[in-house]
Amino acid sequence: MSSVPAEEIERIVAAALTGDRHAESRMLVVLRPGVLAVLRFGAFHRWVDAEDLTQETLHIVVERVRARTIEDPRKVFSFAASTARNLALNAARKALRQQTVVDSELVDELAQNLEMEQSELSDADDRHLAEAVMAMLEELPTERDRQMLTRFYLDGVDKQQLCRELGLSPKHFDRVLMRARSRLRTIIERRAPHLALFPRITAVLLALGTTFTFWVRPFDSW
Amino acid sequence: MKPLDRISLEEQTRLVSRYVAGDLSRSERAEFEAWLVASPELAAEVEMERRLRRGIASAARRGWLKRGSNAPLATDRRWASRRWQTALAASVLLSLALGLSLTLPGGTDEKPVVAQPRATLKPIAASLTFRLGSLRGAGGSPDISLVKAEAPQQLVIETDVVVLTCEDGTLELECPGGSAPQTPQFPEYEMDLVRRHDASLAWRSARGVPVVGSQLSFTLRDPGGLEAGDYDLLVRGRSPGHEEVVARFLMRITAQ
Repeated sequence: MSSVPAEEIERIVAAALTGDRHAESRMLVVLRPGVLAVLRFGAFHRWVDAEDLTQETLHIVVERVRARTIEDPRKVFSFAASTARNLALNAARKALRQQTVVDSELVDELAQNLEMEQSELSDADDRHLAEAVMAMLEELPTERDRQMLTRFYLDGVDKQQLCRELGLSPKHFDRVLMRARSRLRTIIERRAPHLALFPRITAVLLALGTTFTFWVRPFDSW
Repeated sequence: MKPLDRISLEEQTRLVSRYVAGDLSRSERAEFEAWLVASPELAAEVEMERRLRRGIASAARRGWLKRGSNAPLATDRRWASRRWQTALAASVLLSLALGLSLTLPGGTDEKPVVAQPRATLKPIAASLTFRLGSLRGAGGSPDISLVKAEAPQQLVIETDVVVLTCEDGTLELECPGGSAPQTPQFPEYEMDLVRRHDASLAWRSARGVPVVGSQLSFTLRDPGGLEAGDYDLLVRGRSPGHEEVVARFLMRITAQ
C-alpha cells in the first residue's frame, strides 16, 4: 500500500496542475487507489467493472488537469470522485437496461452471469479471511467486544442500540472497530499477505501502464 | 472540503464503516469520496472494513459464528440442555414407535415408523435469517449453506437489492428538485429457488412490496424438505408487463 501522506499528494497534484509531466505521472499513481475504492465500494459497485472505470476516470482527470481548468488541487480530488460516480451511474444504467430476462432464457443467462459475478476472492482466500477474522475475534480482550462486532456486522444491529444494550460509549464502540480493522490487517498480512495489498499488484501494473501511456502519447494524437 | 487530518481517527473509523454499509447521505458520500481519492491510506481502511465484513459473513456461513446471540455462553448452555432434552424425547418416541411397529399387526408393505425420521425428528431451530447484500456467490462459494438434517423450520432471506429511482423511473444520483431517489424500481419483487442440477423451479415466494428503508424479506418454509444440492436464489422485480432478475445468490444444501 502506498504510504504517501495526504499533504504530499496535494503537492503532487498542485505540481501536475502547473504542467509538470513527471508530477502528472505520480498523480495518476497516487489517485488510483482512491478512485478504485470509490468504484468498488460506491453506490453502483454491483454493476461496474471497477478496474476499467478507474482507467477511464483517470483518463478524464488527466485531460482536465492538462486543460488547466482547475486551479485548486483539492478540487481535482472532488472532480475525480464525481467523475467516477457518474461513470458508475452510466454503467449501472446500461447494465439495468440490458437485464431483461424471461424464464426460458434463464439457464443460459445463469451460466454467463455466474462467471461475471465471481468475486476477486477464491474459495481458499475466502477461508483465509474467515480464519483471520476468527483469530482477530479471539484476540479481543472481552466477550463484550466480540459480541459488539458480531452483532454489528452480522446481525446488522445499529450502533446506538448496541451501545445501549452493551453499556458502551460511542467512543469505545469506534475504538473497538478501529482496533479490529487494524488487528485484522496485521493478521492478514502475516497469514495471507496478498489479501492485504491495496492496490493489488495487478492494479499497480495497470497504473504504471496508464502512466506510461499518458507519458509517451499526448491526447491530441489519440 | 474539510481536511481529513482534522477529524479524529474514531470519526474516520465511523465514516468508513458507514460508507461501506451505504449509510452516508448523498452529500456526506460525495465529501467522503473526495477524501478517498486524496488518501490511499483511507482507501486501505475502506478495503479492510470490507474485508472485515466479508470475513465475518464468511465465518458465519461456515458455522464458526452464531447470529443473533446476545450472550453466547449462556445461550449455548441453554441450547445444549434443550438439545439434550429434545434428543431424549426423540429417543423415547422412536423406541415407542419401534415397539408399536413390532407388536401391532400390519401389512407387509407398511414401512416401520423408524423409516420416517423426519416425522419424529423435527428441525431444531425454528427460524434462521440470512441477510444478503453485496456479498454474493464469491468464487463459487455459496451465500447460504445448510445441512439438510440441521435445517431450520423456516429460512428468512433478507436482500438488499432494491434500486431506488426518481419518481419518473430514471436512475439518477439526484432527482429533479434536489431530492434523493426514493421510488423502488419495481412495485413488486419475488424470489425463485432454481435447482442447478436440472434448472427446475423448486420454490417461488409470494410477491413482496418493497418498503423504502427496510430490506426485502422472503420466507422459505421447511428448507430441509429440499433435495441436497446447489440452488440459485433469484430475486425478480415485477411490474405490469415487465420482469427482471435483479439479483442472484447461491444456496447449497448438503446431506451431512
